[in-house]
Amino acid sequence: MRLYKKEGNSIQILSFPNDNVEKGDYLLVEDSGVNRKLITQVIDVQFASVPGLLEELLRDSTTDERVCGENFDPLGVSSHINHIQDARMLLCKIRGTLVNEKLHVNSSWLPSRSKSGITRIPVNSLLKHLGGNQDLPINIGETKDASPLTITAHDLDGRLNIITGKKGTGKSHLSKLLVLGLVEYKATVVVLDLNGEYTGLGFSSSGGSNKYSKRVHVLTPGANFRVSLAQMELRVMLNILVHALNLPGTSTREFKRIWKSLRQQGSFTLQDLGDAIRDCKCNIHVRDALFSRYYSLVNSGFFTDDDSAISFEKIFEETRDVGGALVINLSDVSSVDRQIVLEYTLGNLVKLLSKWKIRSVFLFAEEAHLYLRETYWEDIVTRMRHFGLFTNFVTNQPDTIKENIYRQADSIFLFNFTNERDLETVSRAARVDSETVKSIAQELPPHHCLLIGRAVKDFPVMVKVRALDIKTMGQTRLFFTNKNN
Amino acid sequence: MLIEQLNYTTSPRYNFPPSIENLQLPQTFIELSLSSMKNIESKYLQPNQTSLTQPVIEHIEDATPIMGIYDSSTIETISLEPLIDERPVAAIDVSSIRIGETETGVLCAIRGAIVWKEKNRYKYHRLGPFPFHITEQNKKEIYNLFRNHHFEISEDARAPSIINMQTRIGNLLERWLQLEISCSAYSTIILWDGSLTAGMVDSPVNEMSRLLETARNRLSIVLAFSKNTNLRFSGHKLTDFAEKAEPPCLLQINGFPLPSGPVMPLGDIYVAKLTPGVCSFRLDIDKKVPRERGIEAVQCLLGSDLLIQSYPETLRLAHIFSTFTATEVIGIQRFIAQQYGLRIVARPNVRRLLFGPFGKGSEG
Repeated sequence: MRLYKKEGNSIQILSFPNDNVEKGDYLLVEDSGVNRKLITQVIDVQFASVPGLLEELLRDSTTDERVCGENFDPLGVSSHINHIQDARMLLCKIRGTLVNEKLHVNSSWLPSRSKSGITRIPVNSLLKHLGGNQDLPINIGETKDASPLTITAHDLDGRLNIITGKKGTGKSHLSKLLVLGLVEYKATVVVLDLNGEYTGLGFSSSGGSNKYSKRVHVLTPGANFRVSLAQMELRVMLNILVHALNLPGTSTREFKRIWKSLRQQGSFTLQDLGDAIRDCKCNIHVRDALFSRYYSLVNSGFFTDDDSAISFEKIFEETRDVGGALVINLSDVSSVDRQIVLEYTLGNLVKLLSKWKIRSVFLFAEEAHLYLRETYWEDIVTRMRHFGLFTNFVTNQPDTIKENIYRQADSIFLFNFTNERDLETVSRAARVDSETVKSIAQELPPHHCLLIGRAVKDFPVMVKVRALDIKTMGQTRLFFTNKNN
Repeated sequence: MLIEQLNYTTSPRYNFPPSIENLQLPQTFIELSLSSMKNIESKYLQPNQTSLTQPVIEHIEDATPIMGIYDSSTIETISLEPLIDERPVAAIDVSSIRIGETETGVLCAIRGAIVWKEKNRYKYHRLGPFPFHITEQNKKEIYNLFRNHHFEISEDARAPSIINMQTRIGNLLERWLQLEISCSAYSTIILWDGSLTAGMVDSPVNEMSRLLETARNRLSIVLAFSKNTNLRFSGHKLTDFAEKAEPPCLLQINGFPLPSGPVMPLGDIYVAKLTPGVCSFRLDIDKKVPRERGIEAVQCLLGSDLLIQSYPETLRLAHIFSTFTATEVIGIQRFIAQQYGLRIVARPNVRRLLFGPFGKGSEG
């Protein structure tokens, strides 16, 4: 391999097929004259522009159908000619410089074109070279050179992460892997499970319980996840009424008054609340508005007056010492009820976090745009972060996440995207150049992802996500199934 | 003088096309290539920058010295009708290219191609590339090869300059291939690139006559197409007269003056306009073949081969397969550098250094 060109932080390297270099590989450009090494990553592999190649191909194309023959090349020159024809140009991005084995991020240094040696560097040795915290490892899968790639739980702690890629590429699988990785280290994880995909986390693929089964709590609203009004704070209820059920301001004020008056009387039930609204001396329209919201709450099945109501706080207490995943199964919940559940869950999470009842929570939100209101996005990313709520967004529609969230993302787990617009959106992430995203992500095979950002010390790495022995849930139901199966 | 030990067969069609293994390419040619390369006493190879863009040298082009044809001569137009006879058509072409220079000499590469048409399919044999390192020391050795195997050159004759040796070696290979086809083909239309003019260093009269005779004896006929000709009639280029002719036709010059001196045309000279279009070519047909048979051969060519711009496809393919592309030049440079441990050192372009964008000429 030979250094050919440098423009900005891009360099071009001439290589041949036997160099066996592919997209995503890291190369070390070592200048023997000075004690410096340039770390570059291949973001695209093109054919080198060799003069006369077109003539060569045109001539070869005539030999396809109606022309055939033999070559008598006793000296074996043809192999060298073929070698030239197959010459490649590696388009690389400079990721840093090693000066006396210490990493520097600047790329202003230009190595010698004639004296530089270029070698491939395995991702693992590169990451080891970069140092950083090595404890609490989470094995993500393996790199292209078949060595295991681990990130540390610290890379998710206090961070905002995005897992994105088109449908069927393995986003949820990676998300599950991270959830179990965190649970392994006794972290508390809340999963907003839109399609019921995470409900099998506590079971192995054969159907039996796995080692996480006691730490995975599946909460299905209306079934084993019901709450009583007694546990609720007015603030949370108002959020539900205003944001999930669109209660107007005047009616909200009236509701506040009713709630406070009931609260003064002590503990109250759903029935008490209904009675209070009916007896309320207010404008008939206000009463109607309150009644319609009341019935929405009743019909959601999420609220109950009986003993089946659970204590959110207690569930978290269970996870405090051993860690655990709270999977909120939203699969059979209507969109309004989903928002009611979410307002309740997030409101209570913040309450518990702010009171230091729990230390911190990792939130995994699948397709959050379907249930999180606009104002929550920034709230989650900025304010709630300080309370200890660390979010991981999982989506196949990257444009549903705002640009400012991409810019604040610490790590992005990027799966395949073929759509230019989707790639354009993701490439706005501050931690990587858009060329890398566009070039590599477009050709990622299923279950391979490009790790960008803090988790890989800002050295984008391609990884094949490892398999998990858990029960697969949330599969698409097919009409044309194989009858032999 | 017999050129090589040839395999004449009793079954005329049996050994055509010759397989590559049976091609009687003299081992001495390959050995010469190898020995010339082994004796490189140089540490570096200066690649010829211009060879990447320069057209390659074609061999045995129309080497006829400039001859005027006088007004007393007349031009006769012969209309042609394609003959659907499906006769085999074979063509030979050789190219050479300068690869670079060493401290002691010049590096060049030669490649030959034989193409033949058989049942609507074209087949080819490509020979080479053969690299040669030509120095003042080994050019005599190469010249001896000519003398011993092919050409009648007096012992006193001096070897040409190193620069011309590239053309000479190319021509040597081309003659060998022509001989190979003449000896192995039967009742075939054999297409040469160039003319049938003999009497020059690369085309001794006796050798050329023998080549044509061998072909004639096997009922084959040699048609030589020249892309360029120096022949003029009333001050105009010979091929210009075909502009208004109705294709397919041949223009025959009657009263062609016989040149004096060693140069001797061994063919009847025609201008061939075989298809509509702007191109026409000088066509030499073996003089010893009866005129009617010669014309009939052209008509057979019309019926047997594809013609584009009056040029036979078989010959066009032979040219394409022998010619060097820029990629191949780089590949050969790499082969030489790797095989013989030479360092490739780019020589500064003097013209460019001195004159910048005004530097013209071969290296400008």
